Amino acid sequence: MKRIVIIILFMLGNLFAQDIETLTKKVNTVIPGQSRFLLRGYAHSGLELIEGKTSFVGGSFNPIFLWQQSTKLLFEAELELELEDAKTYLALEYANMSYFLSKYLSLRLGYFLLPFGTFGERLHPRWINRMPSTPLGFGHDPVGPIRDMGVEIRGGHNLRTGKINYALYITNGPRLNDGSDPELETEEAGMLIYKNYSDNNTNKAVGGRIGLLPFSNSSLEIGISGQYAKVGDTGTRYKNTAALLSAVDVSYVRNILFFKGVLDIKGQFNRVTVDNADYYSNKDSAYYSFKNISGSYYMQASFRPAYVYNAFFKNIEFVGRYSSLSFPGNALWNSEQTQWAAGINYWLDWRTVLKIAYQVTERKNNTDKTASENNAVFIHWAFGF
Amino acid sequence: MNFYKNRNVYAFLSILLFVASFFVIESCSSKKLVAEKPGALLWGENCIRCHNAPSPSAFSDVQWETIAMHMKVRANLPEDDIIKIVEFLKMAN
Ligand code: HEC
Repeated sequence: MKRIVIIILFMLGNLFAQDIETLTKKVNTVIPGQSRFLLRGYAHSGLELIEGKTSFVGGSFNPIFLWQQSTKLLFEAELELELEDAKTYLALEYANMSYFLSKYLSLRLGYFLLPFGTFGERLHPRWINRMPSTPLGFGHDPVGPIRDMGVEIRGGHNLRTGKINYALYITNGPRLNDGSDPELETEEAGMLIYKNYSDNNTNKAVGGRIGLLPFSNSSLEIGISGQYAKVGDTGTRYKNTAALLSAVDVSYVRNILFFKGVLDIKGQFNRVTVDNADYYSNKDSAYYSFKNISGSYYMQASFRPAYVYNAFFKNIEFVGRYSSLSFPGNALWNSEQTQWAAGINYWLDWRTVLKIAYQVTERKNNTDKTASENNAVFIHWAFGF
Repeated sequence: MNFYKNRNVYAFLSILLFVASFFVIESCSSKKLVAEKPGALLWGENCIRCHNAPSPSAFSDVQWETIAMHMKVRANLPEDDIIKIVEFLKMAN
């Protein structure tokens, strides 16, 4: 009897051991290794009514690739695929590697979104931007850089009742359009071009940002950014022409329980000063100069009654934005622009949103003394995944 | 030029005014030490600053680790906060 029990126990043990073995094998196939890959991204589509034209737009799609090699190594890259003028465009939005040097500092190398203010680095993705359009000076004809190629150290630190974050970088920096390159607009002499992938000179741009969150609930952040670089082509009369760029940004995000919702205020003020230089005018066959200062800013406020009981209203968000852009008064590319935009968003989930907005832009030009107003309606659907 | 200068002044003044009003509002709220905050609170306060805060169930434990690393770089969040937030997200998903 004893023997039979032992044999049965032995057989059961064997069976059990086999089960554990197969189970372990199965589990091992799903346990991730140290090297991990995550594919995320976002897309957008919509309808736009601008200057009497109505068009479906978008069909754009931005895949984001994240490779986490270890607890200290991360690679991030983003592509943009977009349809424009009967073509499909593929653009590299960023591609860079990070190494965590210490608890408070990481090192980045490659092509990255610059910590120059916050719009470019933190707020421009379509599922994050609460408006379907970008503020004046932060999209086309930018006043200040969005991305560049170089090296950076960055990090963040807790203070007693607040936080501080910092970033310092060296990049190729912007390039000056001095009016002599036939591939660029000669009338835009004095303007900075932020796509300078193989640097036009040996000088590098040095810049950085410091952000302070003075309150313990992290609701408010104030940031100051700066960048300095020589921007002229080597071997030309502009070789010593330099540009000083600066930005101030604010962000205030807070649950306002009294109004059962979340208030979100964002703003950024950019200023670009390029040294005075003489540019050649083909029209007058003479040199001309102007005080080369450009500026742009935006302020945006949004409110979402996220804590009301009604399932529909808790996903609604109201948003308003004012932005302004100013190019140098005596430059051929002079322009003064202001813009109002108001919109209503409906959040389908935390990163999928339907946006409807109305936007009025006013443009004034000192050179040809013209003024124009342009109204637009946007209906966009941004989809993060 | 005047137009531009005036705009600068208005912009600065409005930013100053905003910032001043935040100080007034926030100075009435509690002064809890950041280092003592639990992960759930840090998640609620920090992950809504740029975008809506994702719910813990949005991703798996493994995905949260990579995302946290991405956010640590992008948002310059202190490592101590990130560790606590990831612990909370893993526990609550
Ligand atoms: C300072 C701004 C900022 C803060 C604070 C922030 N995020 Fe993000 N987050 C971003 C930006 C910008 C992106 C989009 C990345 C891109 O498109 O390149 C993003 C993307 C994401 C994504 C999408 C996947 C990915 O990695 O791109 C997740 C998930 C996410 N954040 C979670 C969080 C969590 C959790 C927190 C709190 C710990 C947080 N975020 C705090 C700015 C921020």
